[in-house]
Amino acid sequence: MTKSTLSLNERRLLAALAPLGTADAAELGAILGAAPDAVVQYANLLAQNGELATVERVVEKSYDLTDEGRQYAEKGLPERQLLASIGGPTPMAELKAHPLASIGIGWLRRKGWVTIREGVVERAGEAPEGEDERALLAEPLTDGPGLRDLLKRGLAVERETVGYRVAITPAGRTLVEAGLDLREEVGQITHEMLLTGTWRDAALRRYRVDRLPRRAVPGKIHPYQRLLDEMRRILLEMGFVEMGGELVQTGFWNFDALFQPQDHPAREMQDTFYIGGEADLPDGWEKVRRMHEHGGETTSTGWGGIWQESKARQQVLRTHATALSIQYLAAHPAPPIKAFAIGRVFRREAIDPTHTPEFEQLEGIVMDEGVTFSHLLGFLREFYSRLGFPQVRFRPGYFPYTEPSVEPEVYVEGLGWVELGGAGVFREEVTVPLGLEHPVLAWGLGASRLAMLKLGLKDLRQLYRSDIDWIRETPIRGRR
Amino acid sequence: MPVITLPYRYLERLVGLPREAIVERLPMFGSDIERREEDHVDVEFFANRPDLFSTEGAARALRGFLGLEEGPVRYETAPSGIAFSVDPGLAEIRPYLGSAVVRGLSLDEEAIVSLMGLQEALHWAVGRGRRKVAIGLHDLARIRPPFRYLASPRDRRFVPLDFEEAMSMEEMLERHPKGRAYAHLVAEAPRFPLIVDAGDSVLSFPPIINGELTRVSTGTTDVLLDCTGTDRRAVETATTILCTALAEAGGRLETVEIDGVTTPLLAPSFREVSVGECSRLLGLDLDAATVAGLLRRMRFGAEPTGTDRVRVEVPCYRADIMHDWDVFEDVAIAYGYERFPAIPSKTATTAEELLSTRLKREVREALCGLGYLETMPFVLTSDEVLFGRMRRELAPDVLRLLHPISEDQSVARTSLLPLLMELLEYNRFRELPQRLFAVGETLRGFVTGLGTAAVSCHGAADFSEAYAVADALCRELGLAYSAVESDDPAFIEGRRGALVVGGVPVGVFGEVHPEVLGAFGLDHPVAAVELDLSALL
Repeated sequence: MTKSTLSLNERRLLAALAPLGTADAAELGAILGAAPDAVVQYANLLAQNGELATVERVVEKSYDLTDEGRQYAEKGLPERQLLASIGGPTPMAELKAHPLASIGIGWLRRKGWVTIREGVVERAGEAPEGEDERALLAEPLTDGPGLRDLLKRGLAVERETVGYRVAITPAGRTLVEAGLDLREEVGQITHEMLLTGTWRDAALRRYRVDRLPRRAVPGKIHPYQRLLDEMRRILLEMGFVEMGGELVQTGFWNFDALFQPQDHPAREMQDTFYIGGEADLPDGWEKVRRMHEHGGETTSTGWGGIWQESKARQQVLRTHATALSIQYLAAHPAPPIKAFAIGRVFRREAIDPTHTPEFEQLEGIVMDEGVTFSHLLGFLREFYSRLGFPQVRFRPGYFPYTEPSVEPEVYVEGLGWVELGGAGVFREEVTVPLGLEHPVLAWGLGASRLAMLKLGLKDLRQLYRSDIDWIRETPIRGRR
Repeated sequence: MPVITLPYRYLERLVGLPREAIVERLPMFGSDIERREEDHVDVEFFANRPDLFSTEGAARALRGFLGLEEGPVRYETAPSGIAFSVDPGLAEIRPYLGSAVVRGLSLDEEAIVSLMGLQEALHWAVGRGRRKVAIGLHDLARIRPPFRYLASPRDRRFVPLDFEEAMSMEEMLERHPKGRAYAHLVAEAPRFPLIVDAGDSVLSFPPIINGELTRVSTGTTDVLLDCTGTDRRAVETATTILCTALAEAGGRLETVEIDGVTTPLLAPSFREVSVGECSRLLGLDLDAATVAGLLRRMRFGAEPTGTDRVRVEVPCYRADIMHDWDVFEDVAIAYGYERFPAIPSKTATTAEELLSTRLKREVREALCGLGYLETMPFVLTSDEVLFGRMRRELAPDVLRLLHPISEDQSVARTSLLPLLMELLEYNRFRELPQRLFAVGETLRGFVTGLGTAAVSCHGAADFSEAYAVADALCRELGLAYSAVESDDPAFIEGRRGALVVGGVPVGVFGEVHPEVLGAFGLDHPVAAVELDLSALL
């Protein structure tokens, strides 16, 4: 430590201490015009900052007479006063009439100042002044056998006073000899100081860089939103157009147009949030019905059974972003198309650490003349590697609206191969009723799962019911 | 997706390879390994492949995929001479029946457990919870043909499986666990489906429960199968898959005459597919011989019938083959997903983001700049949070779920401020000041809108802070607003303002009412702004 880190108070104390060498805090306080407690605080800082001073805790004992003791100091101890009242042989009964008899007679006998024979009291010799009597008159009261007696007799009490003695060390002295700046310190540089230039002569308070100030937190985009934005940026860089759409969808767009059979378990009210009301179907919906019932004009058999218009009219909270893709394609049937959506979807799940009834899903589609399943795998590899997963593998998968279907997996250190989304080529049963003439490559990805991997989360609820300390502490620059 | 248990010893015997060699290739065949135990592996197969829902069916497919066999397995059947009749009175109740006899089985405990597993998985995937198909297996030695599938009075009595005393079918719906689970499938029917033998002994009350009489046990060698249902195709699929699995397990298949029609047929179907179409879909350059060879590995029959044509024999149990592309997917799986070139197409398009994305980004920029932290609350919430605790009147157009899981998530948010108040509540023990915002979708009726809200909670939060933020946000978004007195009961009277743009109120700001603070468990003032952004889209 150097003097530069000393506060003005510390420097002033050191300066006051130098001529004294050693002094009580109280004494120093008087010199500096500060409370002794403050002096001790500065002295401790001096002790910590390079051992410029030492601080010693001193406990001093002092004694005071009690009220009774003070009376006796004036008039003598009871036995002395009693003795003075005995002229010659005195009958005990007479002596007992003296106001101090009850205390004094015992002490007269104990000190051997009288003899008592057959009820008559007589002086016995000189009765010299005892140590207790000298102690009683001492100024100040000092420890010794006499005082001990007074303490025992309850005529005096002991008190402890704690004081601090501060001493300058050689290091402190060296510092003082080198000269201390004892000018008043300036905390804030003011407008006036800048205008007048007095800042040049000011002693600016120095701050310590090993003491962190109160932490500042910038306004921040949510860590999960940043991840979603990163995915969006990647897809925009790859030339994709962003799709959007309503949270409320018809069964038609959410399921039927995607060739999801009407009795598919995902359509049951245990899995999907229905909201009541019926909506209109788009023109050409009959083609979708024919596809479900018998495969329309394709080589498909369809699902068979009866396709119910009423189920297609039901309204649901969208269960996947594919509901947006299919509507986008219906509205943009001409190739080339590269489009994506990132949006919230809903599944009827109870909330727990790994399930939430709503989460973000990413969906990407490519429609062009001559695109193939190989191209789909290529887009997946490209997207995942840009997202920070260079190792991607593909496994067969199954989705009602794609064929072939694939489940991409990425390699994650410590976890192995992790399934991340699903993909496939839209079935003809999906594309033909909409009049699409070219293959559609599609993939989807649950972004909240990705968030768990990327943000190291163990509990999905953190995304939506965030602990704001988590947001405060998650750095803007994400893991790469 | 159903989880199928594959016992290693049985699997090794049926496939003819050590377990490691099998398990290693399972993912590339199209299954997820759920967990590996000492004596078995639990795997998930996809819902479209119910033929794989048994060790026998999985082994049949794996022998092809792993290159030990190729082409289809053809299952022989002999006539059993057993007749089955279907009561026309079932037409409106549960009209379809599939049946077969399997003889010469030697079932150990493991095989019975496996059979039960297959039945359960089929009930789920093909039967859609037993509605479309329910399956019964019966010890043939205990009953006498001919059998009758009839519409019975609801008070018919018999002893159901796992019970000792007879009870009426109506009672079973209330007292038997399976009765309670599946009562909804028949409860409305005037008569109940029932299968009886020549002596009127009861085999089954489909789709609820079998009779105790015909319980299949380790002593059972000959089995009668019944599949009843409401969907002809599903009944055929389930019958076929069960018969072929039992044949793989060593049983001899025999046909049954259902009202004079021989069943099961176990006949393959045929498709002629285009090699060029297959190559174009997959992005591979394949010839007819290669496609045929790959399909035979997937246990199809396949012969080239020209340079571009392959005649494909689809085994009866492959219910998933609806379209030529389903065949092409099997070509891809046999080819190996890991061998595909995986190169993106050169499709040239110009990127474009949504207007709403841009607007959200602008809101984020403004509010982050003002020191606010973004949050992303749930869309689903409750009347209590949206209105009750906010002292606001219930909005008539709030979107309500028909079957919410809990009251806490039963409606869609109409605005974001209440969700932010709730987030302050979750974080009430965190350091102040807390400045939070959210921007995102809201719902009014069925229509998706966009909104934002910001809250500032600390000891000195006041009207001026809220006003300043509202003003800054509007200025940055280019909203020419005017501020007027607000009557929003969520705020303190005299300390609240409404934002009006073009005569339409679009937002509110001010000091949140102390009763609202109390309702959210907060004991510091909150300055808040709420703004509907829909008009900017």
